[in-house]
Amino acid sequence: MLPDWKRLLVIGLLVLAFMAAPMVIEIGTGSLNLLIMVFIFVILSQSWNIIGGYTGQINLGLAAFFGCGVLVTHFVWKAEMPIYLAVIAGGLSAVVLAGIIGLPTLRLKGAYFAIGTFALAEVCRIVVGNIFERMIEMPGSYAASYSLIPRYYLGLTVAFAAIAVTYFITRSKLGLGMVAVRDSEQAAQVTGVNSFKYKVYALLISAFLAGLGGGVYAFMRLSFHYVTAVFSPIWTFEPLMAAVIGGSGTLIGPVIGSIFLVVLSEIFALTLGEAHLIIFGLLFILVVMYFPYGLVGSVSRIRQIISRVGRGLCETGENCRKGF
Amino acid sequence: MEFVLQTIANGLLAGALYGLVALGLGLLMGVMKFLNIAHGTFIILGGYLSFWLFNLWGIDPFLSIPLVMIAMFLIGLVFYRLALSPLLKLPDVGMRIDTSMLITFGLIWVLDNAMTMLWTPNVRTILTSYTGETFRFFGARFSFTGLCGVGIAVLVGLALYSVLSRTYFGKHLRAATQDAEAASLCGVNVQRVYLISTGIAIALAGVAGAVIVSSYSISASGGIGWLLIAFVVMVLAGEGNINAIIPAGLVYGLLEAGSVLIFGVPYRQAIALLVFVLVLMFKPQGLFAKRE
Amino acid sequence: MLQISNIDVYYGDIQALWDVSLRIGDGEIVAVLGSNGAGKSTVMKSISGLLKVRAGHIDFGNIRLDGLPAHHIVELGISMVPEGRRIFPQMSVLENLEVGASTNAARKTRQNTLEWIYEFFTPLKLRAKQKAGTLSGGEQQMLAIGRALMSVPKVLLIDEMSLGLSPIVVQELSGVIQGINKLRKLAVLLVEQDIELALSMASRGYIMENGRIVDQGDAKLMLCNPRIKETYLGIGAEEKAG
Ligand SMILES: Nc1ncnc2c1ncn2[C@@H]1O[C@H](COP(=O)(O)OP(=O)(O)OP(=O)(O)O)[C@@H](O)[C@H]1O
Ligand SMILES: [Mg+2]
Repeated sequence: MLPDWKRLLVIGLLVLAFMAAPMVIEIGTGSLNLLIMVFIFVILSQSWNIIGGYTGQINLGLAAFFGCGVLVTHFVWKAEMPIYLAVIAGGLSAVVLAGIIGLPTLRLKGAYFAIGTFALAEVCRIVVGNIFERMIEMPGSYAASYSLIPRYYLGLTVAFAAIAVTYFITRSKLGLGMVAVRDSEQAAQVTGVNSFKYKVYALLISAFLAGLGGGVYAFMRLSFHYVTAVFSPIWTFEPLMAAVIGGSGTLIGPVIGSIFLVVLSEIFALTLGEAHLIIFGLLFILVVMYFPYGLVGSVSRIRQIISRVGRGLCETGENCRKGF
Repeated sequence: MEFVLQTIANGLLAGALYGLVALGLGLLMGVMKFLNIAHGTFIILGGYLSFWLFNLWGIDPFLSIPLVMIAMFLIGLVFYRLALSPLLKLPDVGMRIDTSMLITFGLIWVLDNAMTMLWTPNVRTILTSYTGETFRFFGARFSFTGLCGVGIAVLVGLALYSVLSRTYFGKHLRAATQDAEAASLCGVNVQRVYLISTGIAIALAGVAGAVIVSSYSISASGGIGWLLIAFVVMVLAGEGNINAIIPAGLVYGLLEAGSVLIFGVPYRQAIALLVFVLVLMFKPQGLFAKRE
Repeated sequence: MLQISNIDVYYGDIQALWDVSLRIGDGEIVAVLGSNGAGKSTVMKSISGLLKVRAGHIDFGNIRLDGLPAHHIVELGISMVPEGRRIFPQMSVLENLEVGASTNAARKTRQNTLEWIYEFFTPLKLRAKQKAGTLSGGEQQMLAIGRALMSVPKVLLIDEMSLGLSPIVVQELSGVIQGINKLRKLAVLLVEQDIELALSMASRGYIMENGRIVDQGDAKLMLCNPRIKETYLGIGAEEKAG
């Protein structure tokens, strides 16, 4: 593992490079859109990673938090609040929703938590679909001054913030508690009284990130023809895929998974059309079955096998866990 | 009054179908401890098989059910061999459930998109000469196809129950689930029993799909909605409580009907799902659990 | 009839048995003794096909057992009562017994077998409809033995029959097993912590330590030999006096 200062240096350089990129080189609209989607996926998969990867609670209701963030940001921004405040409002609204959804469902164990959150997210989708029967969009003045560059920077900021949040959590007592909850439940041990507390914190933080991700998306897309689309289970499933394929329960697994998923789906979508989704599904199944530590984990495992000294890429190697 | 009766009648017809929809999921999850998230997708696949048998060769959807079952049974065998049997090596049941959930989740992706490519995203339904025919009882109208669905649901439910409780195969399956190693020491071929049961579970999904396409409609991505219903019914029945699944389906159908009466059609599913989460929280053993 | 020759057995990468050889003749009762962790259960699991044998072989008559799946070995006539009973708690007593008669041959004679098992274990007959999980410890052990007998085996392997049972129940069970052994020419391989019990039932005994067979001989002679208990089984002289 790299020493902390070196790691910070690498990250700092990366941030700088990303910051400078649009100023130094001309990035086409297509590539910018793609990068912003990568950022959104990083945010969402990191959000899923906190509750699903580190805490071991398979949350299938991520879409509700994301959708909530999109809607609230959209309307707050429309009310002429500055966009960065609007995005934060989106994040906070998702936290409130998580309180409502999460406090009851977190009492459920294992698969039932997954089913419960899935059902409640569907409830949200149906209710929202009934309330907003028509499309929602920003006034024309917003569209007139539309440029992708600010979207890029907002996405970049939030994405790095999400990674930083995850990093600091995993290094804190809270992170240890979360991992303990996951491992003890996996070993079917009796968990301490505090496990509920850790699950709640993990869910709230995860929801906050998902809401922020929604905020970025609301900033990027000014109009939504079908409001229910932002509550669609796709917004749960694709980030989950990114996290698992990359390696959940690790810091950079979801990042790598997001890049992999978004970029590859762009390339495949052009060459293979619909078939690329089939390939992703198959890939996901193969990863779950044969590389339970994800891309990141298998890289570090191969390295370990080769060198035995293995400075694993797998950030917190001891935290890599089967399946998640 | 007329409206109330009709709503309840609709609830019953839908409820029987809901029970049928949940049988395969309940068998895999409740008895074998595999959580098959792709259950709804298999239902849609069964619906398509029935649709094409009708469209290409004009085989009546209710008469083609055995054919659909056989085809789906074979698909289930492949599904078990490739996706589920490797999971028996996992050290505990919790991990088996979690991992099977993830694998079948990937399978949704594969099957949904394959079906979209093969058969377009269009909504399909079967229109026979008797589609739309209704009967009147007690002031409410019952559609002929809906009644057929009820009959099939009850029949299939009873058949599954008696297979599990009466036959050697059913006893082997239950024994293997409780303690696979001990069952193999009794001479039970655990792998084969699981293989065949998975085939049966997928065949049951096929029956449900055939009934759905004849009284409602299907589309390639419609599996998730049916999956959710299957979950709800399974939880209401209580995990592993196969003989309570059809009654639980009826309860859920009536619940939906009730919420239509009180809150109107748009919130039909939302209210029922909320009730489901409440049951999940406060009565996780299901509504039909026997007290020991 | 059942011959184990020089087997090595592993759990993953960890070796649990080294060069173990053991023989059970027709209708014979053989005891395997040893302290905790000596590898007795591992020997049983290797015979019944739950564990793979890495080296050596196991032969039953002229059939090679190692490598066959567990359910196949039951079919050949070797049945095991596993450590900790492992009955199916959610099924009725009768259903447990029926599952015991899973092989094709056993199914044909099921009714017959059930009758004579009920004769030996009357409590099972009285509780046939009861859920197995609600039986008492002694009754559960009867059920486990009864279930193993339902497949009409030629060799019965019993792992730790006496564990957690009162002396009276143990007496009763061992009486039944000796009875069945005589009446039906059933060979029995006993794994026991209770040395006196096992040696008094058996005609020959093996002693295991750290995954190896370290001594063997005539059961009656071993029973009289205090040195065996002291050196191999960790039972001191004072304990014997007390
Ligand atoms: N599933 C397993 N995985 C790894 N090691 C095992 C496993 N089962 C047993 N062992 C090891 O193999 C050795 C032999 O175990 P075994 O169960 O055969 O002992 P035993 O003689 O039956 O002991 P006891 O009298 O306590 O039942 C022990 O060191 C034990 O730790
Ligand atoms: Mg033992």
